[in-house]
Amino acid sequence: MDSHSASSAGASPGLTHAGWQFSPRATWAAPALLVAVGYYLAARIGFAFTLQPYPISTLWPPNALLLAALLLAPTRAWWWLLAAALPAHLLVELQSGVPVVMVLGWYISNCSEALIGAGLVRAFVPWPLRLDSLRNAGIFLFGGALAGPLVSSFLDAALVSLIGWGERGYWDLVGTRIFSNTLAALTVAPLILTLASIEIPRLRAARTVRFAEAAALFAGLAATCLVVFDLPQFSNHTAPALFYAPLPFLVWAALRFGPAGTASAIAVMVVATIFGTVNGLGPFAGSTPQETAREMQLFLSAVAVPMLLLAVVLHDRARVELDAREQRLQLTHLSRVAMLGELSGGIAHELNQPLTAILSNAQAAQHLIANKSADPEILVEILRDIIAADQRAGEVIRRLRTLFKRGETQFQPLDVNELVHEVLGIVHGDLVTRSVEIVPELAATLTRIHGDRVELEQVMLNLVINACDAMAGIAPEQRRLTVRTRKVDVEDGAVQISFSDCGPGFTPDQYAKLFEPFYTTKPRGLGLGLSISRAIIRAHHGRLWGSSTPGKGASFHIVLPAPRGR
Amino acid sequence: MAYVAIVDDEEQVRKALMRLLRASGLDAESYASGKDFLEASALREPDCVLLDLHMPRMTGLQVLRALQAARRTLPIVIITAHDAPETREQCLAAGATAYLRKPLEEHELLDTITAALGAKTR
Repeated sequence: MDSHSASSAGASPGLTHAGWQFSPRATWAAPALLVAVGYYLAARIGFAFTLQPYPISTLWPPNALLLAALLLAPTRAWWWLLAAALPAHLLVELQSGVPVVMVLGWYISNCSEALIGAGLVRAFVPWPLRLDSLRNAGIFLFGGALAGPLVSSFLDAALVSLIGWGERGYWDLVGTRIFSNTLAALTVAPLILTLASIEIPRLRAARTVRFAEAAALFAGLAATCLVVFDLPQFSNHTAPALFYAPLPFLVWAALRFGPAGTASAIAVMVVATIFGTVNGLGPFAGSTPQETAREMQLFLSAVAVPMLLLAVVLHDRARVELDAREQRLQLTHLSRVAMLGELSGGIAHELNQPLTAILSNAQAAQHLIANKSADPEILVEILRDIIAADQRAGEVIRRLRTLFKRGETQFQPLDVNELVHEVLGIVHGDLVTRSVEIVPELAATLTRIHGDRVELEQVMLNLVINACDAMAGIAPEQRRLTVRTRKVDVEDGAVQISFSDCGPGFTPDQYAKLFEPFYTTKPRGLGLGLSISRAIIRAHHGRLWGSSTPGKGASFHIVLPAPRGR
Repeated sequence: MAYVAIVDDEEQVRKALMRLLRASGLDAESYASGKDFLEASALREPDCVLLDLHMPRMTGLQVLRALQAARRTLPIVIITAHDAPETREQCLAAGATAYLRKPLEEHELLDTITAALGAKTR
């Protein structure tokens, strides 16, 4: 290492989830050192995976490592990384007694493979590449695992022929190199790319049971691969069936551990298979070295490609679902906040009442004390009332804070009657100012249902506000809202909550559109309340529907199932 | 001693206002609904009324209109925890003497009552 790199090694270039971060001041030393060390070790592994006396490795990982390094780095850092590989290349190749010219020729063809692959990928996918969509994975497979090894192999074989090293024919060299390097690009590069994209905080946050599952998966896979690929073959007839034995583990990895888990599982299988084969064990042993290598490489490549794609597709779908869920949560929260905005007048009423009691009580006490006519008993009573009023105001704030908060859905056992009381408490101010009388008809005992308190309160609030709005046009003394809870006997403990108003009701035509998003009959409504309410109730495995006799009011009913396994 | 009737459905508010008015040297009684007040006021007419606007069954506005219909002119101070500009106009049009927002400032409340009592005696 020169003095420059040694002095800058203390800087903090880092492998982040996005790729290598390069600060403007060349902090390339650590990534370059990583590439050099990695290249050297990868070449040693490549040499170890050689089928003696056949001189070409069955898996040549250094080029795939270079490819992954280039894909993780910004384009302007590529030359530094390729240069960093040169000392490692010279160190490892010159040990094997190859002429310097040939060693340099291989350096050129190795670098060209990484450059072609990375260049093609970079042309279509901006830095950094993440194997998290079918498009990205497809471009990587085509550019990095196919075009790079293919094109560079022609160059490599031409250089070998030109220099006159070895005795093998041009096409033989091309074919052998393509398979060996493609397999490496399919296994090593995705492994590095996906491991580099793991977010450390998320890994730290993972529960022990996840780690246990991963350990079980990899132990099972390793044991299976050991039995299938690393034991002497008893009979050639059983071999084809055994090939499928590791597949369940790979599918498990794709389903549960994403592209990183799948790439790791593929790597385990590839290492186990090659290890067995170079030691003359497992189903591939027995043919000529060339045939053995070819069969094994084809098998491993044929398994790796679909498994990687499966993992990427599943990961992509899970991400889309997560995004949709996040948006649904945001929309639900927004609509809840908008609804609380509608209630602001009523909320002000609810806070002003206790504030009035507190202020007038305190001022009365001041008078009593100033007039020296204060009976201690009366003062105690006043203070008690002040405390009670203060607590009431605090309760209003508490209820609101819960509803304003944006959080994950949290299912818990809930008493429906208590929810109804809570909701009526929140809208109390509105009910009073709008002269709506509540007629509660609550069942004495109800099964506790399983649900999210805030979301269910949101649905009930929405129905109460709708009912109040519907009754705005009738005489104040006729505005009655009946809230009924009851056990649904035919549905094994399910609970029904009904809100019945005395408004004009709705026609069947109106009902058909009532739950559609953005349908509203209110001048300032968003038209999202009922559609979000229905989505919430569906997520609770319940039902929400309306019924009406036009001119005689409308009713909305929620049925929530009792928790299973009671 | 001037007699002020307080009409409010909130018990805590009723109690607090009654204490304040009594401590300020006024005679005060309270009623939980418009109906209770109308019945009681027929027997003993107050010198001034603090009337809450938003009450169940019978609102403050309905009480005002009932008094108007009975051709009874009483100094009425509307008190409300829910302030909407249009209700102020409605109340004044229906014969209210003054319109105050809760929470009630002591001086403003007592000044308003004093002014209302003065108007009655004039």
